[in-house]
Amino acid sequence: MLVTLDEHGGIARIEGDPSNPATGGHVCLKGLGYARRVGYRDRLLTPMRRRRSGGGFDPIAWDEVLGAISERLTRIRATNGPSSVLYYEGSGSHGALGGLSMAFWRQFGGCTTTYGDLCWPAGLEATRLTYGANIHNHPRLTRDSRFILIWGHNPAETNIHQWRLILDAQDRGAIVAVVDPRSTDTTDAADIHVQPRPGTDAALALGLARIIVDAGLHDTAFLGAHAAGFEQYRARLADYPVERVADITGIDPAAIHGLALAYGRTRPALLIAGFGLQRHHRAGQAMRAVALLPAVTGNVGVAGGGWQYANLASHCLRELPLPPEPDGMRAVPVSQVARHLETLTDPPIRAAWIERGNPCSQNPAAPRVRTGLASLDLVVVVDQFMTPTAECADFVLPAKTLFEEEDLVTAYWHPYLQWRAKIVEPPGQVKPESEIWRLLCERFGYDATWFPVDKIAYLRQLLPAGHESAFEALMERPLDLSGRGDVAFADRRFPTPSGKVQFASDEAAERWGVGAVPEYAPLDEGHSSALASRLPLQLLSCKTRDRIHSQFGNLDWVREVERPHVLDISPQDGSARGITDGARVAVWNDRGRIELEARVTPGIRPGVVHILEGWCHEGDPDVNALTAEGVTDMNHGATFYECLVDVERI
Amino acid sequence: MSGAGFLVDLHRCVGCGSCVLACRIENGRADELAWRRVLPLNLRRHPGGPTYFLSVACHHCGEPACLRGCPSRAYEQRADGVVVHHEDRCLGCRYCEMTCPFGTPKYDERLGVVSKCHLCADRLDQGLAPACVAACPTEALRYQGPGAVMGADARAGVPGFVDPAGCRPNIRFAPPKGARRVVLFAALEKMVRR
Repeated sequence: MLVTLDEHGGIARIEGDPSNPATGGHVCLKGLGYARRVGYRDRLLTPMRRRRSGGGFDPIAWDEVLGAISERLTRIRATNGPSSVLYYEGSGSHGALGGLSMAFWRQFGGCTTTYGDLCWPAGLEATRLTYGANIHNHPRLTRDSRFILIWGHNPAETNIHQWRLILDAQDRGAIVAVVDPRSTDTTDAADIHVQPRPGTDAALALGLARIIVDAGLHDTAFLGAHAAGFEQYRARLADYPVERVADITGIDPAAIHGLALAYGRTRPALLIAGFGLQRHHRAGQAMRAVALLPAVTGNVGVAGGGWQYANLASHCLRELPLPPEPDGMRAVPVSQVARHLETLTDPPIRAAWIERGNPCSQNPAAPRVRTGLASLDLVVVVDQFMTPTAECADFVLPAKTLFEEEDLVTAYWHPYLQWRAKIVEPPGQVKPESEIWRLLCERFGYDATWFPVDKIAYLRQLLPAGHESAFEALMERPLDLSGRGDVAFADRRFPTPSGKVQFASDEAAERWGVGAVPEYAPLDEGHSSALASRLPLQLLSCKTRDRIHSQFGNLDWVREVERPHVLDISPQDGSARGITDGARVAVWNDRGRIELEARVTPGIRPGVVHILEGWCHEGDPDVNALTAEGVTDMNHGATFYECLVDVERI
Repeated sequence: MSGAGFLVDLHRCVGCGSCVLACRIENGRADELAWRRVLPLNLRRHPGGPTYFLSVACHHCGEPACLRGCPSRAYEQRADGVVVHHEDRCLGCRYCEMTCPFGTPKYDERLGVVSKCHLCADRLDQGLAPACVAACPTEALRYQGPGAVMGADARAGVPGFVDPAGCRPNIRFAPPKGARRVVLFAALEKMVRR
């Protein structure tokens, strides 16, 4: 993005960077919102200490706050060892320098960190097992597609730049089909929309493949040369006749047929999967089943075709130079922070340091994260604003924004590595996190030379080997250093054990204990589980265009245009419970209960209800009071969408 | 369309509000004084009609009712058709609020004058697009210069927007696409015309 400063050094204007081919020089709502966020009235500008009584916080000087924190950390380490301190980092304000925190913790003797990810790991692993790498075609090739199948994804809200390219393709005659239990801005514009029960995507994918293969629409030449285990997979398809798939997914057999034939017959066809269909504990197998469809139809290594999930092409930076890892490191799954705050022993968690994240709103079982933090001897939170997590802290340290420190930024969707210039000095007493860690190292008498003195020189040496000289160009515009070209797998070489697309994967079986060929299995907490007789509604808590999780929702500018936090419920489920539009309702299960307003909408599949995630101001529903601390079958993801509830009018 | 104005592509607009924010950043008017609004149609997705969004500001009408009704000549129509309101000439009588059928002029109680979208005339004069158009991430909102030739499918009115007073508003709409929305839109248009 391009930033214009006003005469006082504030952000006057934010515009898209025309040199970024992925965005076409446009900015999303959040990007524009930075013009408000950086100097916002609620921004934390000084370290704060919790008052001993009466609630609230008082300002405290850096010297004093770092002294108090280091004294308590030293005491806790002496009693319970270094791993009694939880270090939790999220992905907010993401950049390469974020990793410098470990220069402190490794010298401290260790700590407890988290592994896995709340967002997308099952899909990453499913893609890696199938194709060998998480790369996909350059976004601009979306325009060349004739058929775009969007699965569990709402790009009109959550990837507006991708949506622009999909609309371009549609303007050029492409058919757009969407698989989503909800109706969204994306499904509104689609040509085809099917609404399966949440958690049944594997059955739908295998059912579509069965119809495609039965109709002879599979690409025998591609499969003959580039598929491993296709015959095992084909045998598995026998278990998925359309009648059974219709029964499992709740989609009309004719609609399944129509979608399969349209996808199978049109080339090139692009399949874009979102993160939505991998937020349950059968996620990896479901994603593998869906990811194989482009291979069945020979749409891999083709401009305008492909499997698009995540693009890690820009994740090419070298590891930060850090001290050696000490013995005192321990890790817990990120989706189970609440449980481990409560139950971890040998040693128990006694202190927590949280930065770039908001687990008290965004993690499963969020209310228990809050009570867990309240029971600790020390909680330090680094943030730009007083989030629900910062409210739980003993000390809150003011964090920088992206304009206040140089950094290198990788992407999730386009292949570009980006330079982030320092445009303004941090306001007030704000210090970049890297500086906070350096000061803490000095206070502990640790080696502080791990921290950059000259950040530009430091960041230059993180560029991949042979690309150091690209740094000056990188400061001018986004660069794709992957050298892979625009079409992923154009050479049909797949970095998998067989060198082919893995329709059967022994690695999946060995590493994760799942079937070598993907299959459908019902959710433990799904529409057909025993619990559904008591809690019959499947709750989805999806993302909106207005925020990045709980970020940006605090800004008045965003609140003016944002969509309300309501419970979306179908007319059938609403009338069975006496719920009309605007009624106040309680949503509950065995884990929690929240109250909010209902919106009766024919757009949502009966049996499914929806609440936007991202608690960021008073009165927002605490949706993660309801979600479970499950872990996905692969790669330690969270299971936010495997969540049965019931709703009553109050 | 004869004068300069906006084209809203109802297929591409997702109602994200970037245009509202960009206008706010450029022109400093917010909340009830905001010059641009996004009007959603059928957000709850009633199955009988399509869902789309009308992003609207001033329509820079060929026959501007605001200008006709203004006793202080605060309004001026430029050669390119842009209707500019000069706040320094405004008496704050609010007649234009009553004469404009679209509710475009906004009265600022604090300053005692009205204000409205000037199509970022200064930006136009520098060869730049209006701020809202420049910010639109899906290229749904577009600027049309005077005498611009419209696509064959561009419409002057759509369900949710009519010209009630013969003002000849310089706004055009590209109709929605997508098999489902096309059918729903056609049905709705028929209903409105009847």
